[in-house]
Amino acid sequence: MSVQTSMQAVLKSVDKPVAIAFVFILVMLLAGSLYSSSFLSANYLLQQLQVAAFLGIIASGVMLVILLGHIDLSIPWLVTVGGMMSTAAAGWWGPEWAIPFGVFCGLVFGLINGLGVAILRVPSMIFTLGINAVAQGVMVLHTGGFAPQDHATKLMHWLAVDRSLLGIPNAVFIWAIIGIAVVVLLKRTPLGRYIYAIGNQEAATFLSGVNTKAVLIACFAISGMCSAMAGVLLAGYSNKGYQAMGDPYLLPAIAAVVLGGTHILGGRGSYLGTVAGVILISLLQSILSVMQMPEAGRQIIYGCVIIAMLLVYGRGQKVQS
Amino acid sequence: MTDPQASSRNAVHPGSAFWRMQGIGKRYGGVVALEDVDFACAPGAIHAILGENGAGKSTLIKIAAGVVQPSAGKLVLDGAEVTFATPQAANSQGTVCIFQELSLMPDLSVADNICMAEPPCRWGLIDHREQRRRAEALLSRVGCEDVHPLELVKNLPLSRRQMVEIAKALGRNPRMLILDEATSALTAADVEKVYEILRDLRRQGMAILYISHRMHEIEELADTCSVFRNGRHIETFAKGARSDNEIVQLMIGREYTQIYPAKPVRETRPVPELEVSKLSWSNRLSEISLSVGKGEIVGLGGLDGQGQRELLLALFGVLRGVSGEVKIDGNKVRLSSPRFAKSDEIGVALIPEDRKSEGLLLPMSVRDNISMASIGRFTRGIFIDRQRQNAEIDEMARRLSIKVGDIDDPVATLSGGNQQKVVIAKWLMTDARIVLLNDPTRGIDVGTKQEIYQLLRDLADAGTAILLYTTDYDELIGCCDRVSIMYDGRIVRELTGDAINEENIVASALNLTLDGQAETAKPAGEPL
Repeated sequence: MSVQTSMQAVLKSVDKPVAIAFVFILVMLLAGSLYSSSFLSANYLLQQLQVAAFLGIIASGVMLVILLGHIDLSIPWLVTVGGMMSTAAAGWWGPEWAIPFGVFCGLVFGLINGLGVAILRVPSMIFTLGINAVAQGVMVLHTGGFAPQDHATKLMHWLAVDRSLLGIPNAVFIWAIIGIAVVVLLKRTPLGRYIYAIGNQEAATFLSGVNTKAVLIACFAISGMCSAMAGVLLAGYSNKGYQAMGDPYLLPAIAAVVLGGTHILGGRGSYLGTVAGVILISLLQSILSVMQMPEAGRQIIYGCVIIAMLLVYGRGQKVQS
Repeated sequence: MTDPQASSRNAVHPGSAFWRMQGIGKRYGGVVALEDVDFACAPGAIHAILGENGAGKSTLIKIAAGVVQPSAGKLVLDGAEVTFATPQAANSQGTVCIFQELSLMPDLSVADNICMAEPPCRWGLIDHREQRRRAEALLSRVGCEDVHPLELVKNLPLSRRQMVEIAKALGRNPRMLILDEATSALTAADVEKVYEILRDLRRQGMAILYISHRMHEIEELADTCSVFRNGRHIETFAKGARSDNEIVQLMIGREYTQIYPAKPVRETRPVPELEVSKLSWSNRLSEISLSVGKGEIVGLGGLDGQGQRELLLALFGVLRGVSGEVKIDGNKVRLSSPRFAKSDEIGVALIPEDRKSEGLLLPMSVRDNISMASIGRFTRGIFIDRQRQNAEIDEMARRLSIKVGDIDDPVATLSGGNQQKVVIAKWLMTDARIVLLNDPTRGIDVGTKQEIYQLLRDLADAGTAILLYTTDYDELIGCCDRVSIMYDGRIVRELTGDAINEENIVASALNLTLDGQAETAKPAGEPL
């Protein structure tokens, strides 16, 4: 009886979408293992986690923005900014400047996003799209005729590729550190409480005497830093910072957050869900490519899975409310 | 259905009732909203439904209007059983409901809204000229000739929107019209218009179900009253068969005591906590001077939309570009934001007008809502000290006797009265010295209203300065030590003591001066 009730308590504390996402991950692994037993090997799984870490770091930041009821469409070029500026900084001032400067550039663009949304009250969908284009332009200027350093530093490579502890990739540790920070932020700090509150009803939050502008700016700034950090690691992973390196990450990052049960209009969602969404998407991409599905088929299946999963719990939420 | 009690409950119009509910029940999960309700309605009569929030009135009308399906029992119309799967089905059978929450689209014109369900068409396209004609006819039927059919709904004041809503309902040619708190947003003049329309409709043989928390409306309008309590139909009786006290007792199921707490007798004016002089904003507030003393409840009265809301928002630091001087505890301050207004050195709290969109975060827990304005007090480093915070929240919930199953449940699951208590609790947590309230008892049941009055008086006795705007004259009279009446953005009259009576309030609200009023009610703006 007590076991049953404690089980129920555990189940109650896990959202339905999160549970569905984890079940789906298990189903995919089992189905994959029928195809090839290597799907269940520790090496394959760790490799998946390593790839997922880049997406996970981006999703950590954009989740905060989505919880506010906003969106950050500047991810692709802020990732690129992070990658290219870190390698360039290594060339200009030495390798120890690479990572701080890359992340700093993401912070600057994130702050601009936040100021535009919070102070100028431009809809985030428009403003961040504009900043994405601006960041692209700046990167083109940056490489035009200067030929700055574009290869990654040793530290970047070590963080992104190497495995130091128990054979676990270093990138996974970085994701874990960022993830824990986000969980603590959301659960234990006033800022976290305000993020959910603004996502639910910005007017009521403002009338509670909360500095809503500061909360918006902080979240966009964190999102910018996370994107840039992922860019730094990606540059380390491929040993090179290059144009458009962040392009494949916009939709997967948003999809991962939403598949993990975060409401696209804000106010609801847990970080555990985002973790599930990130792993799910990385795994799906990997399995489809291992099965040597042609690119067109991969895209179709990938899109259909996202829509199908959103239907499953999107409808449930509508009925509940 | 055959037990003698049930048939005696419906004894008022037994033969003429064309619409009845038999053994209707409704459950939401484990919660019983309605149980075994037998209920009937006759044409040509206004039937008032009384009950506290949570008594099952809303569920009753939702079933009648086809919004929700009953889990037990049946609906009988003209002797035949009917089921309404959708509101459209109910409409086509002549049942039209005007809900408490307005259903108008703010960005469409009045005519578009009135003809929303069945726009007049020619060649498959909307016939705008016909639509406009139809809207004009319906608007003049509800006495709103001054509303232009092509005006956007968002540009109309709340009370006008409600009239448009009624016009829209009449456009569907109902046999039975259901009004849920239809007058709670209306100004006194408009309420009178609604009464006339309803009496007119009654003469034409329409059945009207009327839900209201205002006792005097029921006295004035209803032919028959039915009292609900805890999802059950308690009693139906003809108007005048029961006294007010008896009705209230039936509603709350316990002895009815004096509704307003006694006002303290004062020899001298208390020390002013809040002093406002020559406050102006845009063209909505002009040269407002006002003071609220420590331990005093000052009422703001007047017709709806005369600047009361703006005055409260200005004092809470929401509005930009406010001129004039505000002194708190003798010190001049500039109220720049709600965050500054709630800070320790200022200590202002605002209980806003619309608790659903301005006061609460409905999907979030009761606990999170109560702590929302005061989290800053419970931090250790960058973290929230949850133990300390939860202890104070639990204490506050007990103090206001907020009825909640689990304090971590979403605040949306609470009844309206308890939701309002959560908003008040949120601000009591900040230890505010000045509390501004914007119509805090709107749409709240009698029992909770009484608790709120007592709470306000207790707060005042503890030294809090309270500024209360309410649309209910009874509250101004019963609750307030002084009343300032606003008209067109100015304070036109200040009433004290025995001068706070309905006659003076109504006259001042219309900016009239009655004979013999001069000694007790002095024009505002003179030195205090």
